[in-house]
Amino acid sequence: MTAVKKPKPSNYVLFAVTVLLAFLFIYPVLFALMSAFKSNGDILKNPIGVPTSLYVQNFKDLFEQSDFTTAILHSLFLTIVSELLIVCIVPMAAYGIERRKSRTTSLIYTYFLAGMMIPFHLYMFPLFREMKLMHLFGNMAGPIVCYISGSIAFGTLLYCSFLKGIPLEIEEAAMIDGCTPFQTFWKVTFPLLGPCTGSMVILNGLGIWNDYLMPYLVLPSGIAKTITVEIAGFVGQYTARWDIVFAGTIISIVPALIIFCMFQKYFVKGITAGAAKG
Amino acid sequence: MNQNNSSGKKFDKTAFAFIAPAFIFFTLFIIVPTVSSVYYSFTSWDGISPNVKFIGLANYKEIFTSARFGNALKNTVILTVFISIFENSIALGLALIVDNVRWGKNFFRSAFYIPVLISGIVSGFIWKIMYNYNFGTFNAILGNLGLDGWKQDWLGNSALTLLMIGVVLIWKGAGYYMIIYLASLQSVSTDLIEAAQIDGASPFQRFKAITLPLISGAFTINLTLSLINGLKVFDQINVMTDGGPGFTSETLVYLLYKVGFNEGRQGFGTAVGIMLLFIIIILNTIQQKFLRSREVQM
Repeated sequence: MTAVKKPKPSNYVLFAVTVLLAFLFIYPVLFALMSAFKSNGDILKNPIGVPTSLYVQNFKDLFEQSDFTTAILHSLFLTIVSELLIVCIVPMAAYGIERRKSRTTSLIYTYFLAGMMIPFHLYMFPLFREMKLMHLFGNMAGPIVCYISGSIAFGTLLYCSFLKGIPLEIEEAAMIDGCTPFQTFWKVTFPLLGPCTGSMVILNGLGIWNDYLMPYLVLPSGIAKTITVEIAGFVGQYTARWDIVFAGTIISIVPALIIFCMFQKYFVKGITAGAAKG
Repeated sequence: MNQNNSSGKKFDKTAFAFIAPAFIFFTLFIIVPTVSSVYYSFTSWDGISPNVKFIGLANYKEIFTSARFGNALKNTVILTVFISIFENSIALGLALIVDNVRWGKNFFRSAFYIPVLISGIVSGFIWKIMYNYNFGTFNAILGNLGLDGWKQDWLGNSALTLLMIGVVLIWKGAGYYMIIYLASLQSVSTDLIEAAQIDGASPFQRFKAITLPLISGAFTINLTLSLINGLKVFDQINVMTDGGPGFTSETLVYLLYKVGFNEGRQGFGTAVGIMLLFIIIILNTIQQKFLRSREVQM
């Protein structure tokens, strides 16, 4: 590249347009954030105004009037346990497919990818019946097994494309040193797949954290389910208490935002790698 | 154990051990229910009773004759096409902006991506309040501008409902497709563009002759993804309108859900799901054909 050019007027115009667009895109989130710190009366009287003081009563009410703590714990539990199991299962499958190429393994790869087309809504009724038979309905194991199954197609695709870029020589050296294939994978190859694991865990984890239909239908009623299910319930139940619902939405958004800010490049890598082959 | 040259054609035991857990989960919780849903679509199953009655093609007959299915299909097509067109054009616009803006590229990329992080339920709730007739943002702004005549019951006006839901989905989805466009824009070599510049091509000509053909791959992928995601919309409809007013925002997925869980007709619901799968398979086949013809070009 040549030396830094002086900014042209068009640079300023584009910058101004971008700032405006970015504001429009972030506005609904700002709106939720501002409303979460307003009293209900304030939200109704002055929907576009900035909160006048740091009003935290909504958050107190949220935790006092509903079992939101349980909902948070459930969301965390589902996300973390599913991701741990996914990381145990999916990269191994991709390794088996990519490093032991045969007609059967490439057939299995196609079989997995075909699964990406099947919408969850299509098979949910028979799935729930099957889960009831297997005693997976009405407890935390139910959503977890479904999240694992649902992650296999995209995860395999992602890991297979990353594995292509990992040189075989390192694995061969480990094998010569007496490692079993299992040890070779977990001790040598898997650590090299770190960025891929990061991308998959983050994109997948966000999907689980934000999922609604599965926990809503599968977890037993009468208790707080997950954050999203509680919020959807509030919308019907506390029609007059938007302040409480806004406090809940902020609790749902903030962890996702923090993870995004910390691991931005993994989001980008995962999305683009998925699209390149999808 | 010198099996290093075993990259042959035989399926070996190690591969089996590595793949088996994923294979079992996938088969058990996706393929088995999918295949059995073909069976349930020929039954009058209510979702609760253990005996399932086979009724032949009756569900499919109802699909092709009932006005409710026709309405849901129409709503699905309107919503999906509306979302796909705007999601893609806005995403491409944002990608071009982020790629060309002089300051704060990373910041703006993140800003446009933030809506993607928000759950369907939460985004639906936030916008539902913004659309509210008495206390919502839109009518408040219109009021402040003195345009009281333009105030609307945004979600209650059946002519607008679907489009208003579409706006939420476009806002929430555009950032995702922007990332894909951006990656392909950044893979366009600057040499090519500079060469065209020297040859005197205008910015528009450069975009049309160089950038556009090179990002056509990203376009095909994004279009397919946005069409398929549009077909599967559920959470926002659930929070914002519950399919109403009347049936104006009832899409195929929402119809499937309602007949299955509120009306105890899971056999019929499953048949609707099979139709949805057909649509997705057709879209995917078209995309595959397109992609292949593109790969030759590149």
